[in-house]
Amino acid sequence: MSSEIVIQTNDLSVYYGAHRGIKDLNLSVQKGEVFGFLGPNGAGKTTTLRAILDIIHPTQGSATLFGLDSQKDGVAIRERTSYLPGELSLDPSMKANYFLDLLGSLQKNKLDESYLEQLLERVDLDPSRKIKEYSHGNKQKIGVVAAFMGKKDLIILDEPTIGLDPLVQQTVLELIQEVKKKGRTVFISSHNIKEVQTVCDRVGIIQNGELIKTEKVEALINQQLKRLEINFRKEPPHDAFTIEGVKEISRDGNLVMFEVSQDLDGLMENAVPYGIMDIETKTVSLEEIFLAFYSPQNKGGQNV
Amino acid sequence: MFNLFKHEIRSRWRAILGWGFGLILFGAIYISIAPGLFEHIKILKDLSIYELVGMQLGSIEGYMASVVLVYVPILLGIYCIIVSTSTLVGEEDNGTLELIVAMPLSRWQILTAKAMALCVVALFIMIIASIGNAFILAVIKINNPINVTPFGFFTALISSLPLAFGFIMTGFFLGAILPNRRLSATVMTIFFIASFFVENIAGMVKSLEPIRYFSLFNYYNTTETIFTEGPQLSDIVILLGIAAVFFILALISFKRRNITVGAWPWQRGKITD
Repeated sequence: MSSEIVIQTNDLSVYYGAHRGIKDLNLSVQKGEVFGFLGPNGAGKTTTLRAILDIIHPTQGSATLFGLDSQKDGVAIRERTSYLPGELSLDPSMKANYFLDLLGSLQKNKLDESYLEQLLERVDLDPSRKIKEYSHGNKQKIGVVAAFMGKKDLIILDEPTIGLDPLVQQTVLELIQEVKKKGRTVFISSHNIKEVQTVCDRVGIIQNGELIKTEKVEALINQQLKRLEINFRKEPPHDAFTIEGVKEISRDGNLVMFEVSQDLDGLMENAVPYGIMDIETKTVSLEEIFLAFYSPQNKGGQNV
Repeated sequence: MFNLFKHEIRSRWRAILGWGFGLILFGAIYISIAPGLFEHIKILKDLSIYELVGMQLGSIEGYMASVVLVYVPILLGIYCIIVSTSTLVGEEDNGTLELIVAMPLSRWQILTAKAMALCVVALFIMIIASIGNAFILAVIKINNPINVTPFGFFTALISSLPLAFGFIMTGFFLGAILPNRRLSATVMTIFFIASFFVENIAGMVKSLEPIRYFSLFNYYNTTETIFTEGPQLSDIVILLGIAAVFFILALISFKRRNITVGAWPWQRGKITD
């Protein structure tokens, strides 16, 4: 992965009248990276994508893509960028192949027809029908093909696998990995944490329009939330581990399972008097970390 | 940009044929009944009520001018309202505009391609309608003394195009500045109807004369003189000027528009350049 920055936002803010879209968003995405953007509904994920593509204009701050200003150099940026909207709407009267040809004809570079054929085959889509005849999933496939067919340097995907069957979801993830292997960049907003965990190098977590965490997926999993199962020599009392950042999640006699977000030292200190026979570290999924960020007890993930 | 322009025209070929031949049919009905109907009209003593809606029934040529030359542009105007307010803001409401603005085209290129395509569509419709109506007139003239040449009739009909361009660009401007299609179509319809009645009422009431200059219909000659003298160049220039002004205003407004959001102009984000 090169250190060249492809996306950079500087205090990017979007307000819809008095309503907050995103606030003071600062993030950077490097070339060759697959960056995942996570957040609940209404957190500001789609607003961020639209703002960096100049589909909506920022109220404050700025965004640069490939070092170019998103508002002043929009055309040059979009020559190198493709986008799959989260709320994909297609003209129902068009045939899929006409629609793809039209999008291809609006690009600066000529489409690689054989790659387009390949994509259609991989997502199992017959493009000869009118869009109104397709199911929701098949319409999404058209959007996916449109996003990948231009072989752009940056691919921005807003919920790319929504409505797709598991096989095609897997194909999309493979396509993302292929793009990454070729040194191109993918910015993906998703609710599907498992797919983010599978393909992303880094994730940004957004809540209430503010970016609250940016971290490598591995680091986030390894550093942030740990699950420990301790086999004690004698059963500790229930109030023995009232430590901030440590949560007892299950108990079976002397076997106690903890979720630790901070102060592992404190847990160990309190555990030693009861005799530690064995410690086992359990893998925590990104999904569990994500849920921990948004748990009511953990406003903004400060305890994660 | 040219590919988008081509697509916009290509996607409307059914409308071109439908409206073109529809307007021929409309004209055919009124032209073919004109000689017989005029015999009945001649016996009417008070024609002022007809003048209220812009009809001059003193001669068969006046009748044809006030029916065909008034109502064909009105019907074309309705088409202009529908398409101009559905093209940008309608596509935004449907969600299909988001992908287009994510293409490597600037906002002015998108608006220009779409607006020019609609003007060409209106041109094609009027070419079909004008040729068809001129042909029908030529046939009717064989057995009826009508002092209008088919070419004069063709010229009179086709000269309504600048009026159509004016309405198209007004619709684009409203679509670019107002938050949604429903509102822009409503305002455009009010503007269109008001324009029509202002022109007719102001023609009858001397004190209202100055306000007729605000009506686009004021710059389209629907009297029988157009068949012999042709359209006035000054009217064409004024209508094209109005269309150009609204086109520029639409460009400015569309550039500022937050696509997918709509919103009023004062709620939109800043432009840095």
